[in-house]
Amino acid sequence: MNRENGDLARYEIRLRGQLEESWSDWFEGFTLTGTVDGTTVLTGPVIDQAALHGLLRRVSDLGVTLISVKALGSRHP
Amino acid sequence: MAMPVLATKLFIPRLRSGAVPRPRLVERLQEGLRAGRKLLLISAPAGFGKTTLLTEWIADAQRRDPLLRVGWLSLDESDNDPSRFLTYLTNALQRADPAIGAGAAVLTLPVTSFEPALTGLINDVAQRPQTIILVLDDLQVIEAPEVRDALVFLLEHLPQNLHVAVASRSDPLLPVARLRAGDELTELRAADLRFTADEAAAFLTEMVDLQLSADDIAALESRTEGWIAGLQLAALSMRERSDVSGFIHGFTGSNRFVIDYLAEEVLQRQPEQVRAFLLRTSILDRLTGPLCDAVTGEAGSSEMLASLERENLFVIALDDRRHWYRYHHLFADVLRARLRADKPDRVAELHRLASAWHEQNDLPEEAITHALAAGDSERAATVIEATVPSVRQSRQDATLLGWLKLLPDDVIRRRPVLGVYCAWSAFVSGDVEAVEPRLSDAERALAARNDDGEPTHRSAAGAELRKLPVTIAVYRAALAQAQGNVSGMKEHAGRALDLTLPDDHLGRGAAAGLLGLASWADGDLDAALRAFAEVRTSLRLAGNLADMLATTLVLADLLTPMGRLREAESAFAQGLQLASEQGEPPPQSTADLHTGISELLRERDELPAARAHLQVSEELGERASLPENRYRWFVAMARVREAEGHQHAALDLLATAERLYRRGFFPEARPIAAMRARLWITQGRLTDARAWADEHGLSAEDELTYLSEFGHITVARLLIAQHRADPHEGTIGSAIRLLDRLLAAAEAGRRTGVVLEILLLQALAEEAQGRIPAALPSLHRALTLAEPEGYLRLFADEGEPMSALLRAAAETGTRPEYVRRIGRALRTSGAGTTGPPTLPEPLSERELHVLRLLATELTGPQIARELYVSLNTLRTHSRHIFGKLDVNSRSAAVSRATQLGLI
Repeated sequence: MNRENGDLARYEIRLRGQLEESWSDWFEGFTLTGTVDGTTVLTGPVIDQAALHGLLRRVSDLGVTLISVKALGSRHP
Repeated sequence: MAMPVLATKLFIPRLRSGAVPRPRLVERLQEGLRAGRKLLLISAPAGFGKTTLLTEWIADAQRRDPLLRVGWLSLDESDNDPSRFLTYLTNALQRADPAIGAGAAVLTLPVTSFEPALTGLINDVAQRPQTIILVLDDLQVIEAPEVRDALVFLLEHLPQNLHVAVASRSDPLLPVARLRAGDELTELRAADLRFTADEAAAFLTEMVDLQLSADDIAALESRTEGWIAGLQLAALSMRERSDVSGFIHGFTGSNRFVIDYLAEEVLQRQPEQVRAFLLRTSILDRLTGPLCDAVTGEAGSSEMLASLERENLFVIALDDRRHWYRYHHLFADVLRARLRADKPDRVAELHRLASAWHEQNDLPEEAITHALAAGDSERAATVIEATVPSVRQSRQDATLLGWLKLLPDDVIRRRPVLGVYCAWSAFVSGDVEAVEPRLSDAERALAARNDDGEPTHRSAAGAELRKLPVTIAVYRAALAQAQGNVSGMKEHAGRALDLTLPDDHLGRGAAAGLLGLASWADGDLDAALRAFAEVRTSLRLAGNLADMLATTLVLADLLTPMGRLREAESAFAQGLQLASEQGEPPPQSTADLHTGISELLRERDELPAARAHLQVSEELGERASLPENRYRWFVAMARVREAEGHQHAALDLLATAERLYRRGFFPEARPIAAMRARLWITQGRLTDARAWADEHGLSAEDELTYLSEFGHITVARLLIAQHRADPHEGTIGSAIRLLDRLLAAAEAGRRTGVVLEILLLQALAEEAQGRIPAALPSLHRALTLAEPEGYLRLFADEGEPMSALLRAAAETGTRPEYVRRIGRALRTSGAGTTGPPTLPEPLSERELHVLRLLATELTGPQIARELYVSLNTLRTHSRHIFGKLDVNSRSAAVSRATQLGLI
């Protein structure tokens, strides 16, 4: 597995509240999408489980409430 | 560059002025302390005031108990290195009480042996009169299993007077549920830490200096859910603002993350100069004026930091002199995210500036971390190269390995010094496969030249580089040893010896040592002895007295199997003399020298003197002993106890020895498992001893090597004992053939001490068949060889069969004076005990009487008549005796009783 092939596992992380797109870099390149129900959805690839846990820790460090984590499976070009 | 202990990590933060007192939470911690709970856990996300609460509680607890001591440790990611963690843990406890961990011994321990060091600390704490609180702040950074295990070990062996308080952003990987179930845990969680409406009101009023309405306070409290960092940011946003209710309206009506919304507000309200300072310095974990000057490129940072602290802008002082600060974690996160979003191209440059400042100020770890964060591998590699010797000295292997993993391979390949360190790292972490490719790469890099004939590698000139060819050869020899390749070991060690420069005493010592080890593994003890003489000379010239003293044990380990006990003893005597001339504290191997000499005294049956040395060794303690030698004390004591007839105690001591034993560089010529099997044989536990032989794949027909010699002699002992227990099994023939082969090998290797033991066993093998005259030639030879060196226990440990042989030898007039002395040693060991300690149920007087008659030639009916009992009664007695001795035949009972010294 490597980044170039784009076959990394993708995840969707839903947080309560809205966060600006400028935080995208902080969340290791995840896409930030605000939704109408007042939640923010982070979507993006993770290299492995350790990376996912690191990301969740960043969420927790910001004092943000985590609503759900969903595995999307890998993206096929 | 040395690896300093950062005092800021051990500093107890001062309670911020204006902090809202939280008596209800302090009281719960205080109650946990009173109830003697093992762990006080504060688990909540960032910004809930965990550290502040701990600070408030500590101040309160110290007011209540002025004798209370506190050790504080603020953890960070680098504490995942077990050695480093242990260093800081020791330092934190020492701050609480300087009497704890007073020796620096723990600092030199390799990472594999946590328990002895922790046990030392725990014992030190337990001996202190006062209560001690150990605070571990930011425990969430700890992920390394070794460090977690160390903490669990600490909690499981926690002394009564020690309490551990932990603050963590996530539940730590400790047995929290078990502690909770056992009522050994006091925990405060986010729900407990949230500001109540009253606390929020008090806080906002204090911070904003402005009377807010109850509704406003309720709205803010509800929007932030009592999250203290949120309220603090809100307060900062409202300060000196004309339209406060407009702000509150906007904030409470927004859906944006609290932190995102408020940080933006706070930052917007700062003057440009302050905002730029905050963003640029956000990359730093610890801030100090000169460092910030270097990173921002502007003067006046010290004043800036002081004013940020006054303004409550999330700056926390890390020491009393206002020298070092850090940002509140949460605020630092926000600033870093903003920096990366606003000025992504500046980040690397800022890290590079930070790296340069840390390097100039002798803080290599931070210099390396920032260089790596800057993506500047070359800079990182340069600093790592300069730092590695001291990292290795402090044995922070995991730290080193962590850095090396982050460097690209081509950077390492251009730096032979670093490449060789990589090889070493791989070696100590057990990745043996990776060693040789690294060494070859390094060798190629050393040899590579450009068109002008100049070296093309990038390693800095210096002693490390000059000695590198020797180092490479030494590592290759060590690698060969790890792979059991004795000839490769000799080849590379010999090459290293040829390459050493005249002034490189340590390189010479290492090479000679490996050469010696190769000869030792081969059983060529003469050559090994010569090599180690060279090692000692090199160590003396290098001024390394401690290691030179430690090699005394190696000399003794070589001289003993060669039967040169007197030389071994004088080596110890000289070593102890030299050690005593060094004054306090005694050199590190002093205790081991006492242990070593005790074994020689034991052999001469001077058991009280042997015990006296063991006692001195014990009193000197672990700090005067090398970790790899600790097991020796327990082996030596086991042998003394065995000589005194206490086999059970001896077995227990061997079990401890086995736990402490660490496979090091030295051949395991006397495996502890084989020593235990010998004790089992003495006790008649032949099934257990047989299982040992099977487990280690040892049999009478094996090819013999020096390293298996002790095991094979043990097998011969087992076969003789099996013959005594049941002559029909036909084991004696195998024993005799094995002994013949062993004798030839030991004689060829000129191992006279081993020859002696084999001769004794040959004599005992004959005796076991009732052929005493046939036993005498071997015995005679053994006596002749043994007398000048003063051996006694070698004979005496064989017990009754040896008595019989010696009586026969005495009748022929062989060495009468020596034989009498051995006889006395035999009697002292018998007299040292009353009754056999090894029988679960002792024999009655009557049963002992019957047993003695069973040992004669008398038939059953004759014995019954002798005892004035019926044959049936005799059978009942016999059955009881067999049961207690765990045997099922008359001959086995007699043999067992003889071993136990019952008849």
